[in-house]
Amino acid sequence: MLTTQPRLRARRPSPTTVEYTVSTTPTPTVALRLLFGLTILLRLTLGIAALLLLYSKWALSPLATPIAESTTASAPALFTNEFIWYTIHHIHSSPLGELATELAERTPLVLLLPSALVVLYAIFLRMHTTESLLVLRGLGIQTSTSANTYLSTATTRFIPTEKIQDIFVNEAFKGFEVRYYLVVVVEGEEDVVVVFPSLLPRRQIVETVWRGVRGCLYEPEMSGKR
Amino acid sequence: MPYNIAMVSDFFFPQPGGIESHIYQLSTKLIDQGHKVIVITHAYEGRTGVRYLTNGLKVYHVPFLVMFRSATFPTVFSFFPIFRNIVLREAIEIVHGHGTMSSFTHEAILHARTMGLRAVFTDHSLFGFADAGSILTNKLLKFTLSDVDHVICVSHTCKENTVLRASLDPLMVSVIPNAVVAENFRPLSHPGYTADGTAQASGQHNPIPQQVLGPNDTITIVVISRLFYNKGTDLLIAAIPRIIALHPNVRFIIAGSGPKAIDLEQMLERNVLQDRVEMLGPVRHEEVRDVMVRGHIYLHPSLTEAFGTVIVEAASCGLYVVCTQVGGIPEVLPAHMTVFAKPEEDDLVAATGKAIAALRANKVRTEKFHDQVKMMYSWYDVAQRTERVYDGISGALSEADFYGFDAANASSWSASRGRAGVQSFALIDRLKRYYGCGIWAGKLFCLCVVIDYLLFILLEFVAPRENIDIARNWPKKMVNGEKNGEKNGRERSREMRRDTT
Repeated sequence: MLTTQPRLRARRPSPTTVEYTVSTTPTPTVALRLLFGLTILLRLTLGIAALLLLYSKWALSPLATPIAESTTASAPALFTNEFIWYTIHHIHSSPLGELATELAERTPLVLLLPSALVVLYAIFLRMHTTESLLVLRGLGIQTSTSANTYLSTATTRFIPTEKIQDIFVNEAFKGFEVRYYLVVVVEGEEDVVVVFPSLLPRRQIVETVWRGVRGCLYEPEMSGKR
Repeated sequence: MPYNIAMVSDFFFPQPGGIESHIYQLSTKLIDQGHKVIVITHAYEGRTGVRYLTNGLKVYHVPFLVMFRSATFPTVFSFFPIFRNIVLREAIEIVHGHGTMSSFTHEAILHARTMGLRAVFTDHSLFGFADAGSILTNKLLKFTLSDVDHVICVSHTCKENTVLRASLDPLMVSVIPNAVVAENFRPLSHPGYTADGTAQASGQHNPIPQQVLGPNDTITIVVISRLFYNKGTDLLIAAIPRIIALHPNVRFIIAGSGPKAIDLEQMLERNVLQDRVEMLGPVRHEEVRDVMVRGHIYLHPSLTEAFGTVIVEAASCGLYVVCTQVGGIPEVLPAHMTVFAKPEEDDLVAATGKAIAALRANKVRTEKFHDQVKMMYSWYDVAQRTERVYDGISGALSEADFYGFDAANASSWSASRGRAGVQSFALIDRLKRYYGCGIWAGKLFCLCVVIDYLLFILLEFVAPRENIDIARNWPKKMVNGEKNGEKNGRERSREMRRDTT
């Protein structure tokens, strides 16, 4: 429901530029936006819970230094280090914090630490994959693949026109099926560059993109051959 | 009616061999007839993925483990997901398997029947009944052929053998021989062919003059075969010194390689025959003609042979053929082109002597062989007969037309046959056929079929049909109504408009 089959969107800011984006993002509706908001809340809650558990475990260990009484007495000014310690202390001593301490006491560290890390990784995972191909006549093409998590940025690759030998659609075995994919043959490179490598959209999309790229990348021939 | 056909075999190019070229030639001719043909085989080194050959023949080199003599390891069900994907994306209607020793073929036929497709099997080889390996292979063959729509054999001997091995109804076995591309095997004196395949005008009207052999002219005997036990190399080793001793003006040319090559060389050294026997080593298939035209007699000492394409090639090159009377060989060539021998030393020597005498007496018109062979064997003919089999199993031909009127009347000749002449796809009918395979084997086979069916249903959930892209067909050029109209109409109906960008 939150993701769809890969869908194609084309953007044409100028006659010599075109960007094809394939993504699994569905069309945003009010219900979907609310749902996304909810997932963000869920991620936040999960993240805070994981951190709290980790802190409780740390506080239980003999290595931990107890927070100085002076910082916990009254609320210090906002945006200071003391305020952070003050907040942590209050959360830790709240009923929720006590529950976390109890839970941390019962769970061995070998179990708690990996699962907390997995949760922390999972809340940063992107829900949708977006891959795009930007074609600039006379300059080249740029492929981009969205990152797995929110922590890193998209990987992009620019291929200048003079390095492009050919662009075509091919088929290959992938797992237990045969898929169509768009490839760019780059001069002087052993391997070809696969466009939309992680989504591998269906044939119709691949063909549309292929036509568009062929039409946009090269100047239309004046002799009228095609 | 054009069909979408998938040829499945472990054996295909780049590996050389008889089955390989059979599949290629048949596929090419079927494409010319307007059908769509794809080939499914396993990946060879340096040959993986999806490839196109001449004429738009699409080849899927499925990445699978190769076990023995380029046959894959039999993993009954692991091939199914990818096979289903290929079959669905190419919209295949008929699955045509080749070769008994290929596990791909057996699996494909089983899966095809599970998916509700027509299945045809072509047998290219003869097998024994007695040794352990044969018993196992025969059981496997019986399993696969329990539920197949039709079987094609390359000769009548092969048919007999297959019917016995797999306990088939002889009516569902057809004999369609191999063929040769006669243009590639023309004798030295032949004027050659023009680009469109017709003989050049000079050769058509003026008959080629007969070659006259004097009593002291050297006669060259050619042997081209893989040097294996079953190809009769031992027989050859025993016969060569005797033939040379009996006939002073005789030379040998031997081409091919194999485990028996060493024995052959030892024999030459022992008898000091190096000046009269030339060993060429392995030759490629396209060079075979150049070797053949250097000789007058082709000697084929094979101990077992389902068809023997090579003797047709030799006759097409204008060679007089001396061969052992085994397997399907006697069916292959008419009597005036061959001298038969029993597969024993004395008889082979005698037969060769007879052939040499006949040539010296100029009684054999070898220069006419090429045109006669060309009339007898053509891949076009093979493709047409195969097409008729496809028509028969898909119900385009009536049962009486396909199996003969007697068969149509006797209602009980095949158990659990559904509609007239067409094998039923119902699981219960299929299980009935498999159950008859043996006391234990029958139950085991039924289990396999049931698992296969469950796997099929599971796959429909895991990888739904609508998520599989339908592959584009190879764009066909319009033929400008020059040859026969019927063929053109068929091609036009399958015409794929090529999209222009």
